[in-house]
Amino acid sequence: MTALEPALPVRRRRRVRYGVIALALYVLLFLGFIAAPIVSVVAVSFSTASFIAFPIPGFTLRWYWRIVEYKPFVDALIVSGEVAVLSTMFGTLLGVPAALALARSRRTAAAIVSNFLLAPVTVPAIVLGLALLYFLSSLSLGISFTALLIAHTVAGIPYIVRTVLSVYRAIPPDLEEAAAILGASRWQTLIHTTLPLVRSGVFAGGLFAILTSLDNLPLSFFFGSANTNTLPVVMLSYMENQFDPSIAAISTVQMLIAIVVLLIADRVYGIEKLTS
Amino acid sequence: MTAGIPLANPDAKARRSRPYRLAGPSWVIPVLLFLGFFFVIPLGANILRSLQAGQTATNGPLFYYIKLLTDAYYGGVILETLKVAAISTVLCLIVGYPVAYFMVRFAGRWNAIIVFLLIAPLLTSIIMRTFGWRVLLARRGLLTTLLADWGVIPRPINLADEPFAVYLGLVHVLAPFMILSITAVLQKVDVRLEESARVLGASALGTFFRITLPLSLDGIATGCILVFVVTCGSFLTMLLLGGGKVTTLSLLIYQQFNVTQDVGFAAAMGNMLLFIGLICLTLQARFLRRSGGKS
Repeated sequence: MTALEPALPVRRRRRVRYGVIALALYVLLFLGFIAAPIVSVVAVSFSTASFIAFPIPGFTLRWYWRIVEYKPFVDALIVSGEVAVLSTMFGTLLGVPAALALARSRRTAAAIVSNFLLAPVTVPAIVLGLALLYFLSSLSLGISFTALLIAHTVAGIPYIVRTVLSVYRAIPPDLEEAAAILGASRWQTLIHTTLPLVRSGVFAGGLFAILTSLDNLPLSFFFGSANTNTLPVVMLSYMENQFDPSIAAISTVQMLIAIVVLLIADRVYGIEKLTS
Repeated sequence: MTAGIPLANPDAKARRSRPYRLAGPSWVIPVLLFLGFFFVIPLGANILRSLQAGQTATNGPLFYYIKLLTDAYYGGVILETLKVAAISTVLCLIVGYPVAYFMVRFAGRWNAIIVFLLIAPLLTSIIMRTFGWRVLLARRGLLTTLLADWGVIPRPINLADEPFAVYLGLVHVLAPFMILSITAVLQKVDVRLEESARVLGASALGTFFRITLPLSLDGIATGCILVFVVTCGSFLTMLLLGGGKVTTLSLLIYQQFNVTQDVGFAAAMGNMLLFIGLICLTLQARFLRRSGGKS
């Protein structure tokens, strides 16, 4: 469990190597633990048995057909997609200008406002959902698509603000200064200089916001009705009544969507940067 | 899923006298109005509601809160919430630290792949992951079938619907958060410090406990508070894997909302949950300030 020095005696180095091998095996085991439930869901989604049993008796695609046939799944998938994309769009429109204004300010007020904009993520979604439902009901917006959209926008803003703040802080003001000196208006500077510079931050934050929104069951279930149910809400209620592999199939589809989004993100931005 | 955000401090570095500012303070107004209206007011109204609904001819406004703290059942639920959060935090730390250490010190080019494998599950739905554990742990599940075949257990039993399954599910979801919090700090620990300790005669374990571990405390604190807060706020794992044997505050809110519709009481429980989270975040801010760390 420790670092090696080429200068160390051979005997000791070998003993340490065993430690590293043991550690590597442990990490492999851990990654197996992380993958196990996901892999088994994918396996079950192809099972011919209508209950959960191992070994899987045979392969079939019928559970994937069931998704297409079962209208609530399809409807909910569409609602989920719409909410995720629209709430992220609104979150970007609200969050990016604020982050640009706050990043370079050294005032205490700016620090307080920045922390405030990050606050929604620290409030448990179930608390935020409950509070928003009753507040929006009093505005007669209770259970509606608009309410769902508002809730997801509130939850998405912190992700966008956070990444844009950190990206914009790392960029020296020289480039924008140069644009201004060369006669660009504020608007031109924003469009041609600033936004291209912070694009990666907007992109990463938006990605986080979309992916969080897609799976934000604790927030969504408060606003659930036949035409505002998101996918996780429908999956939960389906699971409470039945326990068949179609849940596995729809989960697999949802995961594939996320993987595609992530691969695109990797091509454009690089995954390792997303975690920093 | 609520991904925690270590709050970043504004760049305190002194710059030139007056750097170019593209955006003025007015650019902040729309988002402040939006969050003021749809975040601050609803949470404020929630507090009022919990006080008003509790207040009757015989009860004071704090009725629900007193009930939460003094009633044996609800007090037990709060303790259970803290217990589950504490145990899963410790489990995540123990399980995750070696992985974080390996990633920083030995993984090299494999690091990117490990990071990918760690965050990929965060992108699958929480339903998929809990469903997966049910698939593995149910009476005829993969794990139970295998264990029975190998003779570890006499016959397949249902391991889902047990507190064990809840902890398994929680560690599975949250260990990656812990690991990424620790690697972020561990990366900055100079490997030469460890090497010096070894050269000066410290044992491998001694080096770890006296050099590496203390230097990574910031990451551990960030990760622990993150896991603790997220566990307090999550209810799906308890709902789907606990079989009714693990009742925490957030699960109770879900049930109150779905079954009894006692809004005032649910609001009070939500505020209690919020209060626990606030305490944790204050602790974190204090800890990070004291150690001079910046995450």
